[in-house]
Amino acid sequence: MKPVTLILRGLLVLAALLVLLPLVWTLLNAFKTNADLLVSTPKLIFAPVWDNMDYVLGRRSVSRALMNSLVVCSYAVLLGAVLGVPAAYVIARIKNRATQEAQFFALSLRFLPPVAVAIPMMVIWLGLDMYDSRPALIITYMTITVSITIWLSVPAFERVPIAIEEAARVDRLGPYAVFFRIALPVAKLQVLSAIAFSFILVWNEFLLAMMLTTSRAKTLPIIASEMSQLGMSVPWGILNAAVVLLSLPPLILLALVGTGLNTAFSKKSSE
Amino acid sequence: MATVECRNIRKCYGELEVIRDFNLSIQDHEFVVFLGPSGCGKSTLLRMVAGLEDITGGDLLIGGARMNDRDPGDRGIAMVFQNYALYPHMTVRHNITFGLERTGVGKAEIERRLTPVVDALGLAIYLDRKPVELSGGQQQRVAIARAMIKTPEVFLFDEPLSNLDAKLRGHLRVEIARLHKTLKSTSIYVTHDQLEAMTLADRIVLMNQGRIEQMGTPEEIYSRPATLFAAGFIGTPNMNFMQFEVEGGALRDGLIHLPAPAGAQGQVTLGIRPGSVEVLPDAAEGSLPALVERDEFHGETRLVSLRCGTHSLMASVPAHMALQEGQELHIRLPEDKLHYFDTQTGQRLD
Ligand SMILES: Nc1ncnc2c1ncn2[C@@H]1O[C@H](COP(=O)(O)OP(=O)(O)OP(=O)(O)O)[C@@H](O)[C@H]1O
Ligand SMILES: [Mg+2]
Repeated sequence: MKPVTLILRGLLVLAALLVLLPLVWTLLNAFKTNADLLVSTPKLIFAPVWDNMDYVLGRRSVSRALMNSLVVCSYAVLLGAVLGVPAAYVIARIKNRATQEAQFFALSLRFLPPVAVAIPMMVIWLGLDMYDSRPALIITYMTITVSITIWLSVPAFERVPIAIEEAARVDRLGPYAVFFRIALPVAKLQVLSAIAFSFILVWNEFLLAMMLTTSRAKTLPIIASEMSQLGMSVPWGILNAAVVLLSLPPLILLALVGTGLNTAFSKKSSE
Repeated sequence: MATVECRNIRKCYGELEVIRDFNLSIQDHEFVVFLGPSGCGKSTLLRMVAGLEDITGGDLLIGGARMNDRDPGDRGIAMVFQNYALYPHMTVRHNITFGLERTGVGKAEIERRLTPVVDALGLAIYLDRKPVELSGGQQQRVAIARAMIKTPEVFLFDEPLSNLDAKLRGHLRVEIARLHKTLKSTSIYVTHDQLEAMTLADRIVLMNQGRIEQMGTPEEIYSRPATLFAAGFIGTPNMNFMQFEVEGGALRDGLIHLPAPAGAQGQVTLGIRPGSVEVLPDAAEGSLPALVERDEFHGETRLVSLRCGTHSLMASVPAHMALQEGQELHIRLPEDKLHYFDTQTGQRLD
């Protein structure tokens, strides 16, 4: 191996460690007792305990927040996909003034600082008497999921060669059949990863959730952040356990979509 | 099987008129090739026949029925695209049968029709592969199979071979000709490759800038090009052109003296194919002195650039005829091989 390659490999390993070590550390700390945690030399070998996890999972607030997060994010993502994917297809296939504006509007939603959305939303939901409810949060999150899904799915559909759709029309497919039987399956992986990405964004969302919920509809990130303020001292173990719990769904999703994406990119492209 | 008829077809993209007043009537079983330079509107026309492009004006009839407003799937056509356009998420088998499934043909019937099509194109061993696992030539065969199995009234081809390398192109060209011979479906084939047009066509429709320049069998177009454009476009190497002024019923400049065709006036362009120029070792009756400027070896033949008075022209001679650059020789322009065109209008004279 050439020295340059060796150095570059070393850099890659270093970068990977920079990302991975804090995660590993969090994972380890989630299973340590306070005695193991609060030592000056960090311990790698220790007797793992489930206390922190038990504590986190045993709390009513956590299980409720977990349900809230799952329900709110799933609905927001589902609705975002149902609205966003067809919209992206239309934007990708029909190029005119209206669709261009629509595409820019979807993108501009992402430029907006969340606070600018949060305060008006707060007033609206208070006025409708829906403040601190799951539907309110679902609809608010839809602005995020729809715009992200559209934004990332438009290029996915643009990559589907137009001739394939024309061949399908000659094969007697109507516009809906062309979308469901041809365009969607061909762009599947990229569209799925767009949807997964929108899920990760709303799953991790903090600011809007904090401003739009007070008790009933609190999501997991809010609860996790509250755990850092239990009593006087920081409960490191519990905090770490909460973070691990919080990170699991996005990681699982990423693993699922990630393998899909890998196969998509390593295959010879059809064009 | 069906006839195809275009009546006064027009196509505009906004202000831009790309096809104007196109009239063509295609017989049952006929293999028609649209030939023309890039951008002349061949694909646009084919896509209007297919229903993939709106018809701005005029009528399109297939089998006698007006098709202007019908969906592509209801026109009884099948199309083969330049870049194959196979469904990448389906196996080869499914690609071929998908169209039939959509029309509600039963499973057993599909199986029955699949076998001969697959055998005809030699695709049996690829049936369970995905399109990405095939070469370009194999993919185009699948696309042809997909069109064939539908037993359409009309086959449409849009430059099906232009993405393939030369050898494969020749191969598949022969195959398409063979398929047409057995199936006898009416076919429209778009290409800018004149060899493909010459070898496949019952009739060539030579197009230029959205109009028909000339229509006829390959022999007709080659031996009697109707316009300067047709004369220059068809035939490799290209036809030689020489400009003359008509004076007293003859074409003459210091050296050349030829009778002008009846009714010729003003500027006349004389055309002769390089293969028709006769190269003679010595002066003979009616021969002209010429100077060899360049000599290109083409294998079977040599292409020689000659200077003859103020004109320069090419002659195609057998490869064994050794000529040096700068050598002086004599040429003869046989009268029955000459083509006369009005320089202004580009129309053939005589
Ligand atoms: N969507 C479009 N909008 C505007 N002009 C178009 C459009 N499609 C084609 N044209 C124009 O119409 C003319 C004919 O195009 P067409 O694709 O039929 O050419 P072609 O003969 O098939 O050429 P090639 O051999 O390069 O495929 C061209 O001048 C092209 O610029
Ligand atoms: Mg074309």
